[in-house]
Amino acid sequence: MSFDAPKNSSWLLGRNKQYFLLAPGVLWMMLFLVVPLGMMVYVSFWTQTTFAIHSDLTLKSWQTFFASETYFGALIRTVRLWMITLLLTIVIGYPTALFIGQFVRGKTTQTILLVACVIPFWTSFLIRVLAWRPMLGKEGAVNIILEKFGLIDAPIEVLLFTELAVLIGMVQIYVVFMVGPIAFMLARIDQSLIEAARDLGASGWTIFRKIILPLSLPGVVVGSIFVSVMVLGEFATSSALSGRKVNLLGNIIVTQVGSLKWAFAAVIGVVLTAVMALVITLLLRIVDLRKEL
Amino acid sequence: MNQPFLRIILGIYVACFLAYLYGPFIVMGIISFQQGPEGGPQFPIIEASTFWYKHLLGFAPPSRVAPLPIGEAMVRSLTLAFSTMVVSTVLGTMTAQAFRTQFKGSGIVFYLVVLGMMVPGVLLGLGMSLVANQLGIDRTWWSTAFVLHVVYTYPFAFLVMLAIFNRFDGRIEEVALTLGVTPSRTFRKVTFPIIFPGVLSAMLFAFTLSYDEFPRTLFTGGPDVTMPIAIYGTFSVEIHPNLFAFGVLTTLFSFALLAVYGLLMTAFVKRAQTLTTGMQEEIE
Repeated sequence: MSFDAPKNSSWLLGRNKQYFLLAPGVLWMMLFLVVPLGMMVYVSFWTQTTFAIHSDLTLKSWQTFFASETYFGALIRTVRLWMITLLLTIVIGYPTALFIGQFVRGKTTQTILLVACVIPFWTSFLIRVLAWRPMLGKEGAVNIILEKFGLIDAPIEVLLFTELAVLIGMVQIYVVFMVGPIAFMLARIDQSLIEAARDLGASGWTIFRKIILPLSLPGVVVGSIFVSVMVLGEFATSSALSGRKVNLLGNIIVTQVGSLKWAFAAVIGVVLTAVMALVITLLLRIVDLRKEL
Repeated sequence: MNQPFLRIILGIYVACFLAYLYGPFIVMGIISFQQGPEGGPQFPIIEASTFWYKHLLGFAPPSRVAPLPIGEAMVRSLTLAFSTMVVSTVLGTMTAQAFRTQFKGSGIVFYLVVLGMMVPGVLLGLGMSLVANQLGIDRTWWSTAFVLHVVYTYPFAFLVMLAIFNRFDGRIEEVALTLGVTPSRTFRKVTFPIIFPGVLSAMLFAFTLSYDEFPRTLFTGGPDVTMPIAIYGTFSVEIHPNLFAFGVLTTLFSFALLAVYGLLMTAFVKRAQTLTTGMQEEIE
């Protein structure tokens, strides 16, 4: 990070005053962010009995996690759903971002289109999820419309209370976090660069492959980080749209906490954190964000 | 890019994309006008009526559908969102102000703060309830949930203010101080007006994020529920169109909030413009 302000340029920026300004925020984050996460790691090694936990350290909860079909299966399912959702948000979001960032002339139209993408966010997240139910059900809007146009004879039943429903819902909710960063990077591309390439005889495809795609890659990475973090921690969409059939790691944490199995919930929390850290590290390998932004 | 054919194809694609984004939104609007109390959340609606709106506001005759438990939850959510907004904006502004000069460990502090918006709510909610259990503290919406809301929204406020301060010329403050203006007056008359749009945006971010916050509150909110938790409670039971009527009303409320933000912003920009032109006239 470089913040190019002159040193000690103003009255508020003296040495002591700086620490005074930083202290409350740092303290808040230490107490209410670092301590809880540390506690989670610590409790994952506690001994869980049916009715209580006590602080004798053990690996038992960890063993149960990796031995159990249900829990290990949830880990695999979470990773699989995350991968598909991430891929879909990129595939579906990129063309939209390309249109907004490159094909639309004028900042105003660009802003209007981006705002149009964000407006659905002003409805409560949970109600947006629930609104998919009358959409996807056996007698839902999608089936009715498809039948009217004669595209199908019988209603499609796999639309609701399946993994597909969870995917449809999650992609719709999170795709905007992909569109935004990509569109931002695309809009920053210097048009003269593209004109120069065209004057030198490059085809549209070559321009896309050699100029547009590489320059928009940081946007894809930022979008992927947003989407990954949110999808991996997801549990409401999966329980609402799958009828509690698709259990992600988040769902298992909620049920374990509900039945006061704290040590076990903590184990799953640590696993989830590890997956997330791995994903973000891999994504940051692709692009050096500090250099790009 | 200058390819008319591709442009049209992509244009149609974006139209489809927006239809996908707005689908549930429109469904919500239509179903909220379902006939009541027999009509359920399905298509096509039997007959348009405003029954569920009346039901929501408590004007409908009692029926087998229990009213949404929203009155007190709403007050709690608004109180929580307001306090979160104030604390996050203050913390965010202070931290961003400190970042105007380089200091040792700025990288670590930066990532520590940004971590707050990256860690999923489930994990933080779980961690905080473990801490509360250990210390024997009761989990309530105004204590354990509140501190987590700030952890979540303070990074947004910080990033907004950082962007504002990065474009801010510190010499303006120096001039004021050199001319003998007191520090507090300098802040009020010089610094604050310049950073005001940022403060307003940070406040908007913090308020809306906290108002709709759900996983953190689920774990740490305790028995007195906030708005999103009350809605989550309906997940396990049958859904009635009153939920969608409520969705429409909250969306309208959000738009009202956005309009207030827009008005304040426009008023500010206008005032700034008249001030500058006034100064120019004086100089001329």
